[in-house]
Amino acid sequence: MSLARRWSFSLLLLLAAACKDQGSEAPASGGGATIGAALSLTGAAASYGALQRAGIQAGVEQVTGGGGPKLNVLIEDDASTKEQGITVFQKFINRDRVSAILGPTLSNTASAADPLAQQAKVPVLAISNTAPTGITDIGNYIWRDSLTEAQVIPGAFKKAQEKLKFKTAGVLYGNDDVFTKAGYDVMQKALADLSVKVLGTQTFAKPDRDYNAQLTALIGLKPDVLVVSALADNASSIVAQARQRGWTGPILGGNGFNSPAFIKNAGAAAEGVMVGTSWNSLSQDPANQKFLEAMKKGGVNPDQFSAQAYTGVIILAEAIKQAEGKTGREDIVAGLAKVKDLDTPLGKFSFTPGRDAQHEPSVQQVKDGKFQIVQ
Amino acid sequence: MGQQVLNGIFLGSIYALFAVGYTLVFGVLDILNLAHQAVFMLAAFIALALVADAHLSLWVALPAAVLAGGAIGIVLERVAFRPLRGRADSNISGLISSLAMATVFEAIALQIFGPDISRFPPGTFPDRVVRIGAATASLLQLCIVGISVVLMAVLTLLLARSRLGRQIRAVAESPRAARILGIDVDRAIAMAFFLSSALGGAAGVLFGLAFNSISPDVGRGVELKGLAVIILGGMGSVPGAVIAGFALGLIEVFTVAHLGSSFRDAVSFAVLFFVLIARPRGLFGRAAAREA
Amino acid sequence: MADLLLAYQSLFAFVGINGLLALSVYTTLSCGQLSLANAGFMAIGAYTSALITLRASGVPFIAALAASALLPAIVAVPLGLPVLRLRGVFLAIATVGFGEVVRLFFVNWDYTNGAMGLVAIPQRTQLWTIALALALALFILGRLRGSRAGYALEAIREDETAARTMGIYTTGHKLAMLALGAALAGLAGGLEAHFTFMVAPGGYAFGRVVEMLVQAVVGGTAAFYGPVVGAAFLTLLPEILREAGARLGLAPGPFRLLLNGLILLAVILYLPNGLVSLPSRLRRRSRGVA
Repeated sequence: MSLARRWSFSLLLLLAAACKDQGSEAPASGGGATIGAALSLTGAAASYGALQRAGIQAGVEQVTGGGGPKLNVLIEDDASTKEQGITVFQKFINRDRVSAILGPTLSNTASAADPLAQQAKVPVLAISNTAPTGITDIGNYIWRDSLTEAQVIPGAFKKAQEKLKFKTAGVLYGNDDVFTKAGYDVMQKALADLSVKVLGTQTFAKPDRDYNAQLTALIGLKPDVLVVSALADNASSIVAQARQRGWTGPILGGNGFNSPAFIKNAGAAAEGVMVGTSWNSLSQDPANQKFLEAMKKGGVNPDQFSAQAYTGVIILAEAIKQAEGKTGREDIVAGLAKVKDLDTPLGKFSFTPGRDAQHEPSVQQVKDGKFQIVQ
Repeated sequence: MGQQVLNGIFLGSIYALFAVGYTLVFGVLDILNLAHQAVFMLAAFIALALVADAHLSLWVALPAAVLAGGAIGIVLERVAFRPLRGRADSNISGLISSLAMATVFEAIALQIFGPDISRFPPGTFPDRVVRIGAATASLLQLCIVGISVVLMAVLTLLLARSRLGRQIRAVAESPRAARILGIDVDRAIAMAFFLSSALGGAAGVLFGLAFNSISPDVGRGVELKGLAVIILGGMGSVPGAVIAGFALGLIEVFTVAHLGSSFRDAVSFAVLFFVLIARPRGLFGRAAAREA
Repeated sequence: MADLLLAYQSLFAFVGINGLLALSVYTTLSCGQLSLANAGFMAIGAYTSALITLRASGVPFIAALAASALLPAIVAVPLGLPVLRLRGVFLAIATVGFGEVVRLFFVNWDYTNGAMGLVAIPQRTQLWTIALALALALFILGRLRGSRAGYALEAIREDETAARTMGIYTTGHKLAMLALGAALAGLAGGLEAHFTFMVAPGGYAFGRVVEMLVQAVVGGTAAFYGPVVGAAFLTLLPEILREAGARLGLAPGPFRLLLNGLILLAVILYLPNGLVSLPSRLRRRSRGVA
């Protein structure tokens, strides 16, 4: 046959082989469950996806080592885009026949992909989505273990004001990222509730590296405190540049600061920064200690993203236990509803009636190059 | 106010250095090299690797990374641009092949260094602050401005006075005429790419030092600003790129100071638009920018 | 087999949407203009239809879709008049600037929640809706090919000054193509918004329009259906690579990105007229003609 015919035939064969049906039911051999994890391993959110993968793998080891149910976790990359997120979810739901899905990393991807899981009645446990609305309100199959900033900031700011007694603030936030924008909305309200006057507000975009203009403008207004809503990488540069521009006052940050990378990269400039966090890295709870050891063994610096991912696995294992070892989709949903005061690295964990996360947040301050709890 | 001027000069020096390489290639080949930002990024990583892993001094790593950038530029020209030279749609296909190379470079950086932000080890550069009137600048910032200005001056002199510079300008004017005059056009273009990428690489290393925040996608933020700079300065004009770079840096900083940072990028693009509509050849460009 | 269809249903939908987007870039390429504004037009169409569906209850989907095509086309006119006078790369840069300004507008607009975008958009787009839209676009462009207007466009692409001296109203033709491209991109945006349940500014950045251009050029702009072939190929490629990677035991990572770049480079260097020229090339090769 002609060359073209031969080529197209082999291409079709290749495609057919690639699309070979995996069989109609996911092998649930020996009481195990197939879980899909949709993570951003490439693209804009790649650094978070990598941390989450480490956390999930550590969590699975912990569960199997501790005699829990056998978990077969399939990890797929959604490339930080909603299109691949949707494709990955459909693959999990229809081809791999998973019992539950962890992720996706980004809130934007979640609002596009979670509705599919809801329609197909597959439980989703979000491990990093922090958008206040549009995640768990999608439906009763969508759960999350990541505290939103609304659950962390107000308490943190109140405590900060008790200590620092500030009356005016200058605010800097990232306006092109869901995490930091949602954080800013909450911070704005929290400051208003505390009767703090915002003297000036500046924004930055995630790819920015130079914040000198914004910081100079804010510092010139002479506020009592600088309030920043940023992710760890931007945060460390912001704090370093603020100190360089002569800011000696206090700096208040949100959840995004809660990472050892922040202290390492900001260096001396991180000293005194106060943050509201959803994961207490200093907790002496055995659950947290086991997590820290597992991450150290894997050679990964433990941080909030890996903690929440690890916890996601623990929660799923508990849900299966609550469902008496049954691993069907409905069983896991029923089991999730029964999770109460579970010991996790995040603390004693329960779900709110709206399937959001509920556990004690903490306020920390950087002292001597380490995070310390603020009493 | 003085502080903001310093901020603007500092930012502008990096924009200018980046844009100079961009505009050089456009002037010579009439092609927008979208891989320029990838060379920017790779040079920063190479400098980082030399300092952090090979434990070389910064003063050795910097020129080494700049030369490496130039070498990557030569490879880029050979692989992605030379094969397209005769083609009718060479600007579009050149755009796309440079984009393909940028993707390949980014993937390589991701594979070797990972997606996280990498930093120079602390103490790479002495951490001193200098007072200028009421404003402060770090010693690093002053050095960066100084090095940028020196590099741009060297390039301008090279183009104006040296034999190579004359050859490059001749090819930019008309490759065919240059060939008839006996100039080795291929070599001139390769050298233009070397210079362009060396400067882009220098911008990358200085940027990496300045903000201490290097990642495989670090070039993307500067790429679009670079476009605004070369349009404002005039496509193909090196002095134009320099002046426009500093101008844009100052414009951005003062926009932030007086209008708010949300408007900062919008103002850059507004400048871009305004220039393209009112005076498309920019401040110093000679290339015909209009159809009619 | 039904499972297969279910599992990849969204993939086919994205092939269709990307096909529309690639065609939208092709419309201006066909008369020699490189316009990179289409991510901005797509955003306008997407947000318009999303706002209509979410805020004006009771408006039928077809009306929202019509608005998603119409509004960008209307915006294209005042944009095109000053900008289409620029040649080549300058036009490209101006239109890139436009796209960025649109994205920044939506990032800063609180009414649409800025970076968080609009969520919970009911899924009204079906596979057949997309197929119909794509068929309509192909029909329009196919008819244009052999028509008088089509010849005028080709003349403009070959040599604009000559075309003008022949009496062709070049500004009008270029403007019409810009508006048509804007309408297609906006329509694709509206369809996508009602398929993926949400819109957010991040999806309409510079990278998006570059994807559209790449898909159009890789498919081949000599034939009017070329861009659709390119869109299909490049949308399916990451998924094929995903499967191949899984079977080869490769962990997901930059490898897919690398392959994407290499394939793009190979096509642009060795297959300058795009994938649609592959069959004729192979035929020539197998017949022993160089």
